[in-house]
Amino acid sequence: MSASSTLGGVLPLAGAPGSPASLAQATRRARLSLALMVASVLLIGLAVPWLANAYWIKTLTSSLALSIAAAGVALLYGQLGLVSLCQYALLGAGGWIALRAGHGLGWPFELSVLAGGLLSCAVGMLAGLPALRLKGLYLALVTMMMAGGFQVVINVTGFPDGGAGWLGRVFGSERLMMPRPALALSDAAYFRYVAVWLAAVLALIELHRRTRAGRSWALIRRGEAAAVAAGVNILRYQTWAFGLAGFCAGVAGALLAGGVGQLDGRAFTAGDSVMLFALTVVGGVYHWAGALIAGLLLRAVPALLTDFGVNGYLAMIFFGVALLHALITAPSGIAGQLAGTVDAVRQRIRPPRKDATP
Amino acid sequence: MEDYLPFVISGLGLGAVYALSGVGLVVLYRSSGVLNFAFGAIGAIGAYVGWSLLGADWPQGLAWCAAIVTSMLLSLAYGRLLAPRLSHRDPTIRSIATLGFALVVVGFTEWYWGEQPRRLVLPTDAGAIEFVLGEVEVRLTHTRALGLALAVIMMGGVGLLLSKTRVGLKMRALADDRDLSALLGIRVLGVDTVAWVLSGAFAGVCGLLLANIVRLQATLLTFLVIPAFAAAIIGRLHSLPATVAGGIAIGVLEALAITVPGFAAFRTATPFLIALAMIVFYRTGTRPA
Amino acid sequence: MKRTKKIALSAVVGAMGLAGFGGAWAQSGLDCGLNNGKPAAGEPIPIGAVVGKTGPDDFSASGQAAAAYFKCVNANGGINGRPVDYIVVDDQWNPETAAQVASKLVKDRKVVALAGSTSFVECGANAKMYADEGVMVIAGTGVPRECFNARNYVPVNAGPRVSATIAAMYAAQKYKSKKMVCIIPNIPSLGNWACEGPKEWGKKNGVEVETIAIDPGSADATSTMLQAAAKKPDTIIMNVPKGILVPMLAAAEQQNLGKKIHFVSSAPAYNAEVPKAIGPYWKGNFDVNLEFNPVESAGPDNKNWQAVMDRYGAKSDPRDTFSQAGYVAARLVTQALLKMDPKKIDRASVTDALRKVTDFRSDILCKPFYVGNGNRHNANNSGPVASPDGNGWRFAPGGCLTADDPELVDIRADEVKMGLK
Repeated sequence: MSASSTLGGVLPLAGAPGSPASLAQATRRARLSLALMVASVLLIGLAVPWLANAYWIKTLTSSLALSIAAAGVALLYGQLGLVSLCQYALLGAGGWIALRAGHGLGWPFELSVLAGGLLSCAVGMLAGLPALRLKGLYLALVTMMMAGGFQVVINVTGFPDGGAGWLGRVFGSERLMMPRPALALSDAAYFRYVAVWLAAVLALIELHRRTRAGRSWALIRRGEAAAVAAGVNILRYQTWAFGLAGFCAGVAGALLAGGVGQLDGRAFTAGDSVMLFALTVVGGVYHWAGALIAGLLLRAVPALLTDFGVNGYLAMIFFGVALLHALITAPSGIAGQLAGTVDAVRQRIRPPRKDATP
Repeated sequence: MEDYLPFVISGLGLGAVYALSGVGLVVLYRSSGVLNFAFGAIGAIGAYVGWSLLGADWPQGLAWCAAIVTSMLLSLAYGRLLAPRLSHRDPTIRSIATLGFALVVVGFTEWYWGEQPRRLVLPTDAGAIEFVLGEVEVRLTHTRALGLALAVIMMGGVGLLLSKTRVGLKMRALADDRDLSALLGIRVLGVDTVAWVLSGAFAGVCGLLLANIVRLQATLLTFLVIPAFAAAIIGRLHSLPATVAGGIAIGVLEALAITVPGFAAFRTATPFLIALAMIVFYRTGTRPA
Repeated sequence: MKRTKKIALSAVVGAMGLAGFGGAWAQSGLDCGLNNGKPAAGEPIPIGAVVGKTGPDDFSASGQAAAAYFKCVNANGGINGRPVDYIVVDDQWNPETAAQVASKLVKDRKVVALAGSTSFVECGANAKMYADEGVMVIAGTGVPRECFNARNYVPVNAGPRVSATIAAMYAAQKYKSKKMVCIIPNIPSLGNWACEGPKEWGKKNGVEVETIAIDPGSADATSTMLQAAAKKPDTIIMNVPKGILVPMLAAAEQQNLGKKIHFVSSAPAYNAEVPKAIGPYWKGNFDVNLEFNPVESAGPDNKNWQAVMDRYGAKSDPRDTFSQAGYVAARLVTQALLKMDPKKIDRASVTDALRKVTDFRSDILCKPFYVGNGNRHNANNSGPVASPDGNGWRFAPGGCLTADDPELVDIRADEVKMGLK
């Protein structure tokens, strides 16, 4: 992807496929698009609980939480071309820490989420170390093996649900739900809370992309020789990208745990990590809306099909076909196609200026 | 020693199938650059077809042929119709696309055949090689011994195909640089067909054997491809003998792990741990993709 | 000619009358609710169910049976004139989905109760929500520990722990086994619970029971069976779902373990497909405890269940133990609702009425069923034993055995408090 589209990677600038008129204008537009992104997410957070019923609020809360994880996957693949097939496992790890902190240590919710995020950040950085010497398919396979290992472990240990001991599992009474933050106890309020977290994480990633980190990543993607020649510390920035993606996954896991109340050890398979990557690519890795779409594909679309009573296996067939279709016809994902459509509409409304360089 | 013998023998059976699946995966990777996530699914549907035909009293040989042909046809359909449209994308995306195909096949299999306890019985189940050591008795059914033999034979056969025949040369060229090979006059679609059909045949045989040795259940058989990837990683996605050895080693170690008291609950993680260890400790030939 | 026409006409009318009478008689052979043949047309009563359909196994038969029964009730006067609006949702064996669909039923559709639920994952995910919302669940079949340890969740079945205990008791009785190995999937709240029943019973009765927990996704059944055999037991208790049972017995057959070891199993093995799948090797050496009386038994309620399924169910609906369970649950709820004032049917009053159920009888169950006010429910704790015979099942003499599981002590105390037995 060319540098001009990674510059912000936000909604296309009006009618100008090339570089804008001045640097000040570019900065202003970039700030505007960042604000627009945050505002859009917050608006979704505000509007949806009024429109949706209990089933959909719960579903869309999970959707938003997974969007956070998808944003991390998109960061690694879109910015650096690195495929990580263990992000769902990192989501599980973050969820585990958050549940343990919430139930066992009684930490406030925000602290539990951050703890989950930080642990997954650290583990993500460790997982990223092989990336220094492996690329492409090999890295994908290695991360998938890690996800497989996590699957087995979490199957045995399960998630904390209010009990004592190291694993925090309860035996003898009903499983406890994760205590939610005081200002977000109801499902609707929690949805808004998750939307705020999503906006914050997306902004964090966006800020990274606009600063030194983003430029370093773009250079690393061009070629490691070029990056080293330009003075970029590849170890630091690549590991940092993995850490950031891990942080996203961990936060997502903690928020998912808060939303559903508990997590189940059987739902964190290696296949889930692969699906997360696949649907993030389908959503679009070069645009923040892609992460939102990925979250919808992961949770809302299956829920829609279930709501209509479609047989679960027929839904699986539909998903497979949709995945194939999206991969074949849309290299920059659904978000890319939407952005392209918006661009085309803008060009119709406001014809391109004569001095714009093609 | 006698405590371990039964598990070594039982691990051989499973290891053979990991080895065979691994060879099937590596063959396709070497000849088309794609890691086929749908390998298990294609094999599974072949096994279900075989089970249905055996239940309808078809003769054994014909049912197996039908099963393997089903897998080959599905693999061919994907390879000729869908894979070419992605040939310009990077290898990871091409592999993820096979996941979409896997979902379609598994979804169809589960929907059509439904969920019901089934068992695929092969005539080779009846006989077995008995190992007796003191009080310990363990049997290796002929099916599993056949699996081991097939793994070695296929490894040799495919190795010869890839290295000594013209078709094999063309397959390797195509995997290396598709556009350049087309420029050189290699019939791209023809060679692709051979690669995918061969992979489909492997999938069919693996499907039948796995359905017998493990369980005739579509979702499980599909996701058994992930430990098979571990065998492929041990072969560094290139060496067939290393893949076979790796697969058998994984099977045996996973079975032996049951004797380790603390680890027994986690023994299904053995393939992943071994693959990771191989990556960490044998870091030669990095970045092959 | 005219005369023959008249005779023919009256014969036809007579035949129609007879058919009509026969039809009505056939319909009156069904026992659903009020049995007055009048379709109910009042304000619908919403009742829900959560079933695990898409996943490792298909448990939807209980929802289908309950749906058929409620259809029959609706065609026969409903609940004192009000029809039942029965909503079944699929939780796809995913706890997150289970939470969502239960939310839909309880908070969006405002069901007054749930009946005929059968799910592996929803008890843990939803028990607290059901308790908080004050809604009762008369479930068809519960599996993990949470289903039998919740205030608002009442499974009609016995559960894997009780069932395995009865299987162990049978083995000790018939084969004089002194050492047993119990195999259970290592899913939390199943792996550390369901085999403890035989273990604790064994401790009190001089039988040593060891547990082996297996990974249900494991591809290697042979090693597990060899590990079990290495402990030199007299009996192996299989406490696993039927999808895993078949390959494990196949592995045991390949190792010829049936020669020296007896195999018994808890209830999941009792299914029409299992004898054919496991094959003739196991004839006479595999005993299964059932949670209900056999599917082909001749008792009037069992026959009613089959008739209801034939009349109101689909041909493809399985007629298995899940179906029996769903039918029993639906019948229990209907009976309780019929005792209430139709104008005052809301969640709180239904919950109250259901807790008051103390003597629900059905020949599908070994003993009368009750709900009660206890903190947990496990009223069904007895069942008969069967053994595969060719393509079918043969039933052991002796009828229903009652589980002597030490963990049931609080259940027995509740029974005494309620004045039962």
